[in-house]
Amino acid sequence: MNVLEMKNIHKSFDDLEVLKGIDLEVKKGEVVGIIGPSGGGKSTLLRCATTLERIDKGNISIAGETLVKTSNSGLTQYTDKKTMQQIRGRFGLVFQNFNLFPHFSVRRNITEALIHVHKKSREEADSICDDLLKKLGMEDKADAYPCNLSGGQQQRVSIARALAVNPDILFFDEPTSALDPELTSGILKVIRELAEEHMTMVIVTHEMVFARDVADKLVFMDGGVIVEQGKDIISNPQKERTREFLAGY
Amino acid sequence: MADIASTLSQLAGGLRFTLGIFFLTLLFSIPLGLLVARGRMSKNKIVSGIIRVYISIMRGTPLMLQLLLVYFGPYYIFAVKLSDLDVGPFKYRFVATIIGFSLNYAAYFAEIFRGGIQSMPVGQYEASQILGFTRMQTYFRIILPQVVKRVLPSVTNEVITLVKDTSLAQVLAVTEMFTTAKNLASAQVSVMPFIVAGVFYYVMNGVIEIVMNRAEKSMSYYS
Ligand SMILES: Nc1ncnc2c1ncn2[C@@H]1O[C@H](COP(=O)(O)OP(=O)(O)OP(=O)(O)O)[C@@H](O)[C@H]1O
Ligand SMILES: [Mg+2]
Repeated sequence: MNVLEMKNIHKSFDDLEVLKGIDLEVKKGEVVGIIGPSGGGKSTLLRCATTLERIDKGNISIAGETLVKTSNSGLTQYTDKKTMQQIRGRFGLVFQNFNLFPHFSVRRNITEALIHVHKKSREEADSICDDLLKKLGMEDKADAYPCNLSGGQQQRVSIARALAVNPDILFFDEPTSALDPELTSGILKVIRELAEEHMTMVIVTHEMVFARDVADKLVFMDGGVIVEQGKDIISNPQKERTREFLAGY
Repeated sequence: MADIASTLSQLAGGLRFTLGIFFLTLLFSIPLGLLVARGRMSKNKIVSGIIRVYISIMRGTPLMLQLLLVYFGPYYIFAVKLSDLDVGPFKYRFVATIIGFSLNYAAYFAEIFRGGIQSMPVGQYEASQILGFTRMQTYFRIILPQVVKRVLPSVTNEVITLVKDTSLAQVLAVTEMFTTAKNLASAQVSVMPFIVAGVFYYVMNGVIEIVMNRAEKSMSYYS
């Protein structure tokens, strides 16, 4: 079963066409790595999949629910608000710069949506939070505020916040780009562990070794199209453009 | 000595109106300012245009003039008898003062709030949306608490100015503290009532500073 299906996605900003017909399928338990040069449309693709941007044309469904589709007559229509809200409850997104809520403690960052969106009791939310913090080695930081944490710790909290709602799929947009090298390896380790637990994930990254190791499928994007995809495109690229890009690493 | 005692008690009488104007203006102008700020940021060009003009007039003309217009407007424009506009025990001159002050301060607060809201990183909205918060939840749980922290110093400035501005109510012959001091001074041929009134204003602002400092401290646990 496909947790994410994107078909023929088109997206423009004013006159600039950023996505020129992207097809992407992510199976349950699969880890998909998206690589490619700056400006290739990786973030835009992720933002379209997570409802942060609206597409101009194409079909997207998440966890079996249709988010948007283009009919045969060419009309692109998003689902109703309520379904959209439901779909948002099914995935998580980890941002490059964390986007934690600075006025909330670590605990509240993780539990707020559980309590007020997913209507869990405070006890239940707290116990989910405690489990996650323990798993991420942050059990002593529940009462800390984001401004008192290192970048790596903040990213752990943001991963915990995304995981708390038990999502069907987790998106990462360059989760280590804002981190020092030493902190990067810690976050990559967390993601590897999630992969071992068969968490379905789509990861945009510039960490090629990590991408090669962790991904079941790699996608190379450039100029708004998928140039090449497959398991081994890093170790054995078929397209000239891919080779050129990888030569920079 | 009897002089001082009676001066104090009469000034205290005026102080009631000063405090009345102060608290009622805050009570109405802060929520109104939030609404005006939202209107100013509206995607609807007509709404944001009207609000923009409103703010510019409120900030670009003297508050004293605005008070006079609010007070005499109903009479000159609609030929309404002003005594018909009294609200319960409050004379219309007091009601008009509150309306005028609230409209004026709402404009100033609106610009402060707008600055605060627009300084919020877009990532806070995006993270909220992804987590499934509704727009109302995002606004009241995530955005507004952070905006309050950001705008507090500017709000303190406005509040201190308001204390001093209450003396402008004298144009509508509201017997607030400054009017009272003026009357006493000319009756006694002495500056003493002015000095006492000055001390009152100063103490009021001292209290405000203490309260606002506490408020700022209570939010300093994050940055
Ligand atoms: N909101 C926007 N408005 C206008 N143009 C945009 C917007 N967002 C992205 N773009 C443009 O779309 C193109 C693709 O950007 P995108 O951020 O998706 O690239 P990316 O592959 O994620 O690059 P990077 O590796 O640098 O993060 C770029 O040319 C960018 O300038
Ligand atoms: Mg990007």
